[in-house]
Amino acid sequence: MSASDLPRKEANVLRGHEGAVLAARFNGDGNYCLSCGKDRTIRLWNPHRGIHIKTYKSHGREVRDVHVTPDNSKLCSCGGDRQVFYWDVSTGRVIRKFRGHDSEVNAVKFNEYASVVVSAGYDRSVRTWDCRSHSTEPIQIIDTFLDSVMSICLTKSEILAGSVDGTVRTFDIRIGREISDDLGQPVNCISMSNDGNCILASCLDSTLRLLDRTTGELLQEYKGHICKSYKLDCCLTNTDAHVTGGSEDGFIFFWDLVDASVVSSFRAHSSVVTSVSYHPKDNCMITSSVDGTIRVWKT
Amino acid sequence: MDADEEDFVFYGTPIEREEEMTSRKKKAVAEATGQMRALPPWKQEVRDEEGRRRFHGAFTGGFSAGYYNTAGSKEGWTPRSFTSSRKNRAEVKQQSIFNFLDDDEKAELEGRSLGTSLQFDTFGFTAAELARKQAEKEQQKRPSAIPGPVPDEIVLPAANSIGVKLLLKMGWRHGHSIRDAHSNSLYDVRREARKAFLAFSSDDAKTSSDQSEPVIRDHETTIEQPNDNIYSSQSTPVYVLHPKQDLHGLGYDPFKHAPEFREKKRQRVSGRDISMSESLFASRSGKVAPGFGIGALEELDVEDEDIYASGYGFEETYVEEVEEPSKMSRDHKQIMGKNEEGILPGFKVASKSDYQLERFDPPVIPNDFKPHHKFASPLEVENKFTEPPPLEVPPPEDNNMKVLIEGFATLVARCGKLFEDLSKEKNKSNPLFCFLTGGKGHDYYARKLWEEQQKRNDQKRQQMNLKPLPTEKKLTAESRGKILGEKPLERSLRDSDSSVTSADFLHLKINLSDTFTKPASLNEFLEAAKPFIDDPAKQERFELFLKEKYQGGLRSTDSGGSSTMSEAERARERLDFESAVEAIEKGGHSKGTNLSSSQQFLELSTATKLQFTSGGLEQVKSPQAEELITKKMYPKREEFQWRPSPILCKRFDIIDPYMGKPPPVPRPRSRMDTLIFTSDSVKTTKAEDTATTNRDALPLSQLEPEDKKFEITSMETVVDSNKENIERPVDLYKAIFSDDSDDEGESSSANQVENPEKKTEVANTTLNRLIAGDFLESLGKELGLEVPPDPVDSINKASTTASQKESLRASTGCVKHQPADVKSSSILDDVNKPVRTQEAAYGNISLLQIKTGSSSNGNNLDYANPQNDGTQVNSTIQSGGNSSKVDLGKMDPDDKRVKTCFRQDQGWKSSESSDDERSRRHSSRHRSQNSSSSSEDEQVQKHSRRHWSRSSTSGSDSSDGPRYRDHSRSKVEKKGSSRGKSSSTNRNKKHSRHRTHRNGDSPSSSSRHGTERRRHGEAKKEKRKSKDHGSSVSSKYGSHRKHRRDER
Repeated sequence: MSASDLPRKEANVLRGHEGAVLAARFNGDGNYCLSCGKDRTIRLWNPHRGIHIKTYKSHGREVRDVHVTPDNSKLCSCGGDRQVFYWDVSTGRVIRKFRGHDSEVNAVKFNEYASVVVSAGYDRSVRTWDCRSHSTEPIQIIDTFLDSVMSICLTKSEILAGSVDGTVRTFDIRIGREISDDLGQPVNCISMSNDGNCILASCLDSTLRLLDRTTGELLQEYKGHICKSYKLDCCLTNTDAHVTGGSEDGFIFFWDLVDASVVSSFRAHSSVVTSVSYHPKDNCMITSSVDGTIRVWKT
Repeated sequence: MDADEEDFVFYGTPIEREEEMTSRKKKAVAEATGQMRALPPWKQEVRDEEGRRRFHGAFTGGFSAGYYNTAGSKEGWTPRSFTSSRKNRAEVKQQSIFNFLDDDEKAELEGRSLGTSLQFDTFGFTAAELARKQAEKEQQKRPSAIPGPVPDEIVLPAANSIGVKLLLKMGWRHGHSIRDAHSNSLYDVRREARKAFLAFSSDDAKTSSDQSEPVIRDHETTIEQPNDNIYSSQSTPVYVLHPKQDLHGLGYDPFKHAPEFREKKRQRVSGRDISMSESLFASRSGKVAPGFGIGALEELDVEDEDIYASGYGFEETYVEEVEEPSKMSRDHKQIMGKNEEGILPGFKVASKSDYQLERFDPPVIPNDFKPHHKFASPLEVENKFTEPPPLEVPPPEDNNMKVLIEGFATLVARCGKLFEDLSKEKNKSNPLFCFLTGGKGHDYYARKLWEEQQKRNDQKRQQMNLKPLPTEKKLTAESRGKILGEKPLERSLRDSDSSVTSADFLHLKINLSDTFTKPASLNEFLEAAKPFIDDPAKQERFELFLKEKYQGGLRSTDSGGSSTMSEAERARERLDFESAVEAIEKGGHSKGTNLSSSQQFLELSTATKLQFTSGGLEQVKSPQAEELITKKMYPKREEFQWRPSPILCKRFDIIDPYMGKPPPVPRPRSRMDTLIFTSDSVKTTKAEDTATTNRDALPLSQLEPEDKKFEITSMETVVDSNKENIERPVDLYKAIFSDDSDDEGESSSANQVENPEKKTEVANTTLNRLIAGDFLESLGKELGLEVPPDPVDSINKASTTASQKESLRASTGCVKHQPADVKSSSILDDVNKPVRTQEAAYGNISLLQIKTGSSSNGNNLDYANPQNDGTQVNSTIQSGGNSSKVDLGKMDPDDKRVKTCFRQDQGWKSSESSDDERSRRHSSRHRSQNSSSSSEDEQVQKHSRRHWSRSSTSGSDSSDGPRYRDHSRSKVEKKGSSRGKSSSTNRNKKHSRHRTHRNGDSPSSSSRHGTERRRHGEAKKEKRKSKDHGSSVSSKYGSHRKHRRDER
């Protein structure tokens, strides 16, 4: 993919959130997207047509992260109210509330089978919750982190989590190992490459770091944006050719994966770009910002 | 609750309380009704309606007041006749000191109060006192408009003795001595005034005072003399009290053992102290009450007196007459006036002063001194004119160099050629100053020097022309600063223009360094070591630093660092320099070669480098270096063991990598659990210890199952573990084996005999399960249901139970129904594999278990003929014992938790297991004697009965009830089917098969860890159970039930 194919054209602006939008996520097939924000709501959109479909209200405080099952039937969300909510997408009702985190929950993800919700919280723990049973107790609590856990990624057999203590920890369920990659800088967000071999970690020293997952080697560093105090998302494009991420000055940056040069950067929002999500298949991207908008970018 | 109440015997009807009683209330009530009633009064506790102990106050009985919180006494409550409170009002008790004194103290106090009898009451003090008391009394009796005692001031009885009256009339006043001291005019004046004031005859006074009467004088009554000669009367000092002037304790005499010093001290002090004290006390006695706010050294002077001078003088002493206040003040004023000349009032001029302010005369300035330094050689002013100017040379490309050269040139131009020579010599080795000796930049230097000289000469001439000798005439601060090379005070300007600043700075530095003479050591330093020789800039800074350090004067703000350096770097460099200097100094002391000192320095610098992340010689490129370091350091990969929970694995559709391993110490769920588990964890570690000892005893090379070695090591470990926790019971295997292997395992049985009480609950619970059939049967008997005795069965029973046990053991050992040899081969493979570090602890254990497993498996296979190969079995036993011993440690948490039993299931287990233990012991002993079926039967009955009774009596945990019932119900249910021994055996067999089956489907990897896996399986089952029933059910119980269900 050449640089010209990067989604730089604003296709839609999704307005509706009152206040900052903290996360925007494509669903599994990229037809819909979910956003959540400080207005304590989760919103479901069709980003391609720019339609707001549904609002999910139940959170008592800001919603920090949301994730949807691959079959689009369930949602999970988390936020400042220290709970993980398990929603039914169609009815918009909360199926279960997982309580147990001692403080704000930063990130939440379903596993592949949507049987487990994994949440990461400010209480330095990663907790896994069972969606199959009626238990609201966590299946497992991973509390080896030394500081707030900001972001998680799941593979078929691993839980990856990035923490402010500067580590990206991989919990391999298959071999029962915890692999800790210390980056030396607070990790804000982690994102997996589509081939699953690399992990992109956004650090608070305004650097994105690409790590090789098998060896823990630092492959590349991406600089140019500002990321010093906000939780800013980063991700790789669908082809793994570029790295993209927001900046605190409202810019979106595209780096070349290999030579780490800034391929493109443009001002997308008037304020901090909190979240970026790349379409799984197309050259399409959504970004959310503190300015309350979600923008859809296409080539 | 039912079980609870069975223990108590109640009398009367319990008081019914409302529903909304709090739990505490309930408890209180329960206790009140249940316990308290039965207790004797001194053991009863009084609680309020909230259930709290009643607290009466720390000093009024604590938790118990009255007679054990009752109104009675030991004899009981004795009624008294009624007294009306109306008639007998509660008296207001007047407290006096006597209320609080002991008898001896009172006696002491009685003899203390001294007073003059009226007869000898010259001054009427006692009379006055009496009169006042009288007045008070009268006042109290008399109804008065003003309630309370009349202020003393109002009631002033005139009870002066006649002598006082006379004396007063004569002009004497309280606090004054009666003497003849009116030689001075002042006194006369005063007397005249007084005379005028008083309406009494002055003649009397005169005559009386003229004859020098005895002076009544106590420590307070010495009047001060206006002049310096201290008055000492001719009167006999009646009683001289020395005022306490020191800070020693009362009665303490510091000169007790050294009286000679007392004299000394007095002499020393007397000069000022006596006069002071006299004056103070004299003035104080009359006029001012000794009160707050007046320091000992404060003189009562004008201000103090003036206040009273205006109106009436309020005197504190009642007897004293108010007398000529105005005069007094005037007196004082006059005294003041007298004392004025540079001496504090009350002080007198010391004849010879001990202390003299040392003053040094200013140094004598020699006549020929000129206020600025001149070099010996004349400024080459004149002869420079003639010299041809050097060629115009482009400045060197190094800006530093340029600046340096320029600065140096200016300096040389000002100070003369000598300076150049000096510095040339000094900086011979310094590459920076190579321009002096004709190196790089010399041309430029020459040119610059010439220019400077030209400039200077011009200036000189101008100055000469304008004002001759300006510097000597007017030496302003600025010009002096210029001369000294001080920085001009233009901070802001400097900061704003950094490039200029650096240049200026250098100039100044050089100027500074050369204007002041250098100490010799500095030169030595510079020559001795150039620690930063490879970094000239830094070396330069270092030298500057040295200069500053050794010259002391005029330290600049940014000491040492170049302007480009950051604050942190500068600080670091400073530290560096400091250490370097230290090193050089050290080297200088030895005064060895340059080499040694520099070496020393190097050492030190490396040390500092170690201390500070970056520094030492790589100073300049530190930021990059740091970055490099961080890059090198990060990312850092570490690996830890992490145990995913089984459910998580399941949900992720992944086989649990830790399947079969003992679960970690469970996460405490509540505070209670934590409490319970703390002890367990300790035990677990102990067990781990055992494991490690085991491992130590068994190095990897020895892992080949050599019977002999095995035996030894296992024996060792057995002993070890026995030593370590005495109360830890003998393991399951031993327990089982000891039954039917008395003939075989001598050692194990001996062990058994030795520690009959060492029976694990686990072993017993298993056994319990094993003899469940018997148990059920006996239960049936207990319940009065006929269980037909079957002699044939009972004959068979010995063997069947044995086999049953075998199978059970096999099952508990989690040995698959696979050929033993296959098993062992796989084991060997496993053993040969390098054991992973984190599993190392388990490795050996598992091996032992495997061994056990395989051998027991073997046993299992040929349990039809119990006569096994002796040694084989023996080793099996021991190894089994060993492994399970080790294992038991790990299992302990569960079992101990069982004891504390907060969870229902385990409550049952505990009661049963501890019970079982007993029966088990019993049985083992029995069996060792004879292994007939009848005895066993009996014993089982016993056991069951005991169990029954126990559960019925000691089930203090009310939650035990339903479970128990459940259990018994199941028993009853079972009863019908569990008639025959064979059937029960069958069931057990089935059970075991079922178990093994269950375990069989687990992956082979886990089969290594026999017992552990079993536990895991149980845990799994438990989980399942818990899911089924909503509450977690004991694993054992669960499996039991499971088994029943299967059967059904």
